[in-house]
Amino acid sequence: MTTAQGPGPAPRIILDEATTPAPRLDFGWEKAVAAVAPPGGRGWSTPALLGAGAAVLVLGLSLLEAGNFVAAQFDRAAWLGWLTLAVAAGGFGLVFTAIWREARGYLALRSVDRARAAHARGDVATLRAELEAWQARLPPSRARAEGLADMPADAVCALVEAKALVPIAQDAAALGRAAAVQAFAVTAVSPSPGLDALVFVWRGIRLVRQVAALHGFRPGIAGTVSLLRRVALDAAMVAATDVAVDAMVRGVLSSRIVEHVAGEAAAGAVAARRMILLARATDEACRVLPRR
Amino acid sequence: MDPLTLLRGVLDTAEDAARALVGRERIRLAVTGLSRAGKTVFLTSLIANLLAAGKGARTLPALSDAAGGRIRRVFVVPAGTETVPRFDPDAHLGALAADPPRWPERTEDFSTLSIAFDVERRTSLGGLLPDRQVTLDLIDYPGEWLLDLPMLRQGYAAWSAETTARLRHGVRADAAADFLAFVDGLPADAPAEDALAKRGYTLYRDALRVCRDTHGLRFLQPGRFLNPGPRGEAPLLWFFPLPEGAKGGLADLCARRYAAYLEDQRATFLDPYFSRFHRQVVLVDVLGALHAGEAAFTDTADALSAVASIISGANWLERLLGAAPTRVAFAATKADHVPARARDALAALVEHISFGARGRAEQSGAAVSCHAVAAIRCTEDAVARLEGQAVAAVRGVLLQDGRGATIYPGEVPMKPPEPAFWEAGLFSMPEFRPPRLDPAGASGMPHLGLDELLAWLVGDLL
Repeated sequence: MTTAQGPGPAPRIILDEATTPAPRLDFGWEKAVAAVAPPGGRGWSTPALLGAGAAVLVLGLSLLEAGNFVAAQFDRAAWLGWLTLAVAAGGFGLVFTAIWREARGYLALRSVDRARAAHARGDVATLRAELEAWQARLPPSRARAEGLADMPADAVCALVEAKALVPIAQDAAALGRAAAVQAFAVTAVSPSPGLDALVFVWRGIRLVRQVAALHGFRPGIAGTVSLLRRVALDAAMVAATDVAVDAMVRGVLSSRIVEHVAGEAAAGAVAARRMILLARATDEACRVLPRR
Repeated sequence: MDPLTLLRGVLDTAEDAARALVGRERIRLAVTGLSRAGKTVFLTSLIANLLAAGKGARTLPALSDAAGGRIRRVFVVPAGTETVPRFDPDAHLGALAADPPRWPERTEDFSTLSIAFDVERRTSLGGLLPDRQVTLDLIDYPGEWLLDLPMLRQGYAAWSAETTARLRHGVRADAAADFLAFVDGLPADAPAEDALAKRGYTLYRDALRVCRDTHGLRFLQPGRFLNPGPRGEAPLLWFFPLPEGAKGGLADLCARRYAAYLEDQRATFLDPYFSRFHRQVVLVDVLGALHAGEAAFTDTADALSAVASIISGANWLERLLGAAPTRVAFAATKADHVPARARDALAALVEHISFGARGRAEQSGAAVSCHAVAAIRCTEDAVARLEGQAVAAVRGVLLQDGRGATIYPGEVPMKPPEPAFWEAGLFSMPEFRPPRLDPAGASGMPHLGLDELLAWLVGDLL
């Protein structure tokens, strides 16, 4: 058919016998090109299973032990039983409140993933719901984007970016600068490098939690660890930048006298810069929308 | 090359190098095509499928594979302070997805759009650096204007002689009978009367319209006579080709307007958009030309060759300055109008019909490739019984009344047909309704071969 040069059958249109409009063709394109879902998690890791088992054992056995003890106290005297029950309920109540708060802080970070995934796949309804839920968690004084219900996706993202995310990024940068000043000062006056590292770690974790709080997150211990994992990728960039800045500063200040005078200041400058970049990386990790 | 152009070329080359150094490359992709080749739909599909691919959909698997799966995000670059209208893919997609659907109207003005890709770096150390951002600059324009480009290398006398000679042959002679009678009746020293100029222009423009709409011809100049654009029919257009020997005031007036017209086209069309680009795709409705008869088929090949001599024909200095495309793809559009087994023949045929154009591009050092694509697939393969034998056909829904129809498009030869081929007569392919589409474009739109074309064109740059 494709190479023949003869006249062959002439082109023609053969209309369907049915005169009613035919449905439009459907190639099932949406399903054919749908993004391949990433493989699901393989369940809990061994350390997580160990930790969860130990926690269940400790808490469960403690509860059973406390129950037995309360029952024994009731056998001795009613008032003693009630008093023991109140003490046990108060103590376990505080423990469970702490666990609940940890879990909530940890799960709140998942909303970032949900919002970004909805944005990536163009799911406007989910994105709008996630953004509204996220805005509801922001501190009361923080400006919010209103009237998202009637807007197209692009406008929703642009408004949330301008109204909420940009001011948060500015505040995060301010927190980073404040932490940088402190890190610089501590490094300059610190008597030992070991203390430097300790102060830096403490101030860094505090900075990460402060920036997360700007985004409406209240990470507990588990939440902070999760957040630090998110920041890790950007932190690799921070480390790479550090090497370059450190080398440059020390290269510029190579004179012996100048090095003596400014050597510690140079180390402090590197530490300060690290704080500024850490604030920026944390802000990036907590954003509900990818940077435009 | 004048000194100003040379200086601009040097500056542009320096800018390209600086952008590559910081991972912010900008690729100018010239989407070239004669009128009705399908540029607007091609751009709409390209943008919709790229944006969907950026969200993880497998709309362009060959491009994704060519990029090693490193495309992280695709987005439309926000508008700046451009004076040119913005190409609106959402509006075009919405019209195609609407019920009843509408194909884009004839393009009557420029519009541009830039798309950016965030691409992960290739090297292992690249993980420490931010993603590269590659920007693809796209432009839509009336295809008729493309035929103005060959006029830039001709004076009025040469263009007049060539055009009137062409008008006196074949189907053009019938279409231009009134115009030819008018110019043949003019005295050689006709005065510079605007009434004569406008009358000649009107007759010539009408002849061009008949050639385009009735006979499917494409080598029709000047382009703005057929598609004047947003500025309408300004007095600048009131000229026409005169026979050899015309010397009077009217000839001078036409020559002055011809020069002014070309200067205007150079300033508004060629220099801003076609003086420098990195990759080029030439869209050809080769099936439409085949169905429109021998004259239209030959005419399309001539038009392509003439355009390519300007666009792809770069000299060594232009190549050195990076002003010439390094890859040029020729694509037969509307490949869904033939069954799957005939698409290879369609690609082979475009290779032949673009022979002259390919030669120009290859002389300029560009790599050349030929493809058959359908920016939006509107048919499915079917079998028809003709004269007692089963033949491969396509099936779709007609745009006009929504009825289903099976279309046998005829034989698609792999090379320019022998004279006997044309005895089958002319055929007008009906317009089809697009398939069901998501108006939001989350999944792009069904296509044929668009991903392989893009992978070849820009895959190496990602």
